[in-house]
Amino acid sequence: MKRKKRITNRTFLLTAVIGSFLIMAMVTANSIWSSNQTLLKTEEAVSAVSVFYLDTMADRRAQTVSNQISNEFDQMEKALAFIRDEKIESQEELRDTLGKIRSLLSLNRFALVDRNDIVYTQYTTYTGKSRHEFLSAKKMDDRIISTVSLYGSSKQLCLAIPTPDLTIMGKSFKACFVQIDIQDIINLLAVDDQGRTYFALYTKNGSNLSGTELGPVISNRNILEATKGLVSEEVWKENCDRFAEDARGSMTFSSGDVKGTMCYVPIPDTGWKLAVLIHESVILDQIRDISEKNLSTNRNQIVFSLLAVLSLSSVLFLELMALSKDKLDAEKKTSKAFQTMANTDSLTGVRNKHAYSEYEDAVDQKIQNHEIQALAVVVCDINGLKYVNDTQGHAAGDQLIKDACALICESFPHGAVFRVGGDEFVVILQEKGYETMDEALGKLNKKVEENINEDGVVVAAGSSVLQPDDRQLCDVFTRADHLMYERKSKLKALGAKTRET
Amino acid sequence: MQRGFQKLHSVILALMMMLVLVACPSASPAEDSREASPPAGSTDPAELPSGEGTSKEAAPVNSAVNFNHELDSYVPQKDHYNFYFTYKTVHPWWDSVALGMEEAQRQYLEKGIVVTYEYMAPEGASAEDQTKRLMLAEHRHYDVIGVDVADESAISPVIDRMVDAGIKVMTFSSSDAAAGCKRIAYVGNTHNYEDGADLTEALCEKLAYKGKVAILVGSKGAPCHEDRARGARDTIAKYSGMEIAATEYDMDSVDLAYTLTMQILKDHPDLDGIICCNMSNPVGAARAIKETGSHAIIVGMDHDQEALRYLNEGVIYCLGVQDCYSIGFDTLQVAVKIADGNQPGELFPEKTNEITTVIYQKDAAIMLELLYGDI
Repeated sequence: MKRKKRITNRTFLLTAVIGSFLIMAMVTANSIWSSNQTLLKTEEAVSAVSVFYLDTMADRRAQTVSNQISNEFDQMEKALAFIRDEKIESQEELRDTLGKIRSLLSLNRFALVDRNDIVYTQYTTYTGKSRHEFLSAKKMDDRIISTVSLYGSSKQLCLAIPTPDLTIMGKSFKACFVQIDIQDIINLLAVDDQGRTYFALYTKNGSNLSGTELGPVISNRNILEATKGLVSEEVWKENCDRFAEDARGSMTFSSGDVKGTMCYVPIPDTGWKLAVLIHESVILDQIRDISEKNLSTNRNQIVFSLLAVLSLSSVLFLELMALSKDKLDAEKKTSKAFQTMANTDSLTGVRNKHAYSEYEDAVDQKIQNHEIQALAVVVCDINGLKYVNDTQGHAAGDQLIKDACALICESFPHGAVFRVGGDEFVVILQEKGYETMDEALGKLNKKVEENINEDGVVVAAGSSVLQPDDRQLCDVFTRADHLMYERKSKLKALGAKTRET
Repeated sequence: MQRGFQKLHSVILALMMMLVLVACPSASPAEDSREASPPAGSTDPAELPSGEGTSKEAAPVNSAVNFNHELDSYVPQKDHYNFYFTYKTVHPWWDSVALGMEEAQRQYLEKGIVVTYEYMAPEGASAEDQTKRLMLAEHRHYDVIGVDVADESAISPVIDRMVDAGIKVMTFSSSDAAAGCKRIAYVGNTHNYEDGADLTEALCEKLAYKGKVAILVGSKGAPCHEDRARGARDTIAKYSGMEIAATEYDMDSVDLAYTLTMQILKDHPDLDGIICCNMSNPVGAARAIKETGSHAIIVGMDHDQEALRYLNEGVIYCLGVQDCYSIGFDTLQVAVKIADGNQPGELFPEKTNEITTVIYQKDAAIMLELLYGDI
């Protein structure tokens, strides 16, 4: 049969420590795995989000430009109404009026053009056909929006309104116009920029109008030339076509470690395209930052939680150990009490018959093993117990037993006293008790003989020592018991009470 | 012992609570201070030398035009000036001059000095038209009248008469009046002959001093155009292997320049080169050369955007770029000084020299970006 392994404190402690580390490792590994999975899924989502985000942003910015153009046209109409109300008779008055319009309506470079393509501004009058492209048109029926590239690399958006019924100083005027510096538009758009995206304005052939960089890869180059090779030929051609038309589109490209998504939308009536670019790393970095911060917090929480659990476990373990020890001690105490109760004679306080039997078994074993060389047994019997019980009651009988026991114990201070019957005691003598047996027995007998006359307690005692041939205690007991009866007879002869008395 | 454990338990529990609190940092919002990258800027013209002299390749190409000007320390005597300027023909070249003038006007305005002016030209170069304009202007009390002389023989006497009548007249931009004219000062290109000679020299070198060339000129009688053509002819004459097959005037019209070039190529299919003396010449010539597939080499003047693109493509070999912006800026500044009664001397020279820079194919992209932001 397999022997059951005993669980020790060391085993318990080892299990607790290894278990804690395993739990810690599992929780940490699970957290890292979850984090990595989250990042992977996030990267997949970023591409989709980028396009949507940029598309919305490009629309918003294109709308900003459209609103600006619309606002400028409204102001120009107001300016024309103002001019019509003024009675302008000379060039000086016209210049004054244009000055008022500039300050009142915030229209920079507001100008009028007569039928001979002479341009009138607040400070100058000049022949403008070669300078303003819209004047080359043979007929001007509607508003015109055109882009002007000025010598010195300045680019402007020219907004013109035909004025077929405007006559000043006897001259017929064909149009009014304003020129908005593209840099002003860029400044307007930049207000909306959070510094996380790049944007630029382009002509239909991809030329950069705004001079702003669309990220480090495309920079301020022609967008179509710059993106060639960054995407597949098919995608590139498709986008070239879209760029040339009034269509919107997007491209996602990789260059080195940079992965960018670019969306472009047409700005109505201008022939411009507004392109917005974001590096996916910007979105990813932000999400990664947040994830890593959360992960770091989680890691810390896990570590500290595990430490807390470990500490708590240790405390609980120590407490459990203490409680177990206390309980064990209590149980030992109870057990000892029960054992004492089971082996003790309740009346006299000396060991009882049950104790004697256990003792006898143990001594028999030692005798057989030749572990005991010297041992004596004294068998004692109380004379007249039945008489006292019958005549004076059991209480007096019990008292007699107690007195007898006291006498025996007093006589054999170095012996083991057992009450083995109602009126019978056995004293086992070893070592010093054995050595002083004769003296003690003599003292007992003397006292007993004195008690006969004084009506005291009378105990008959017979003794015997262990003989080499004895195999068990019973052998010694039998001889002592026999001698006890002999003594009992002698005491009777001396006048001691007997059962028959 | 039991009490001891209770105490230890309390201490450890308190320690654990402290650890858990430490392990729960307050979440801070993601901070982003990603800054947007600044756009690539071209070289600051302020750092460039303000060169003077004739067309020399030694001058850095991006200093060919100086857009960074400030008015000098002269303090104008009035708070309002009114000028009249007339130039040869409606053409982008003079629009570039106008931008320089507008910058000077803006700077005067910042100082509280209002400068108003008219800047007028006919559709086609015409001495007769210019004369009419001057005769009208002389009665309108302008502080100064500026003239880009359409024809020095016709216009110089008109100027002399106006000056004699007490009107302050200056010449500007591309063409001065004839020698001995009474105009007060001239601001513009003073080395048209050298420009023509330099361009032709470059062409001759390219052709190994052997070949048949044509000369396209702008307006007949326009001093700048004629001077350049003269410089070209004199240079060709130096080399026995060089031959002039034709000389034509496009009257500052690109379309006419194209038509004339097509005709010259038809008449001289073995033409080796074309010398273009104004701004419209090289554009028309390049269109024709590209269309016919001729191998004739073009050298020409000025900074037309289309011409610069042909230069970038290699259709045009080299271009002489004048600093029109500076011409315009200086013209207005000198006009203010003249209006105050000043004469050439310490305040301004009798002839304000402006530079011309010869640029080649390798310089074309830089020039396109510098002048037109064409990238």
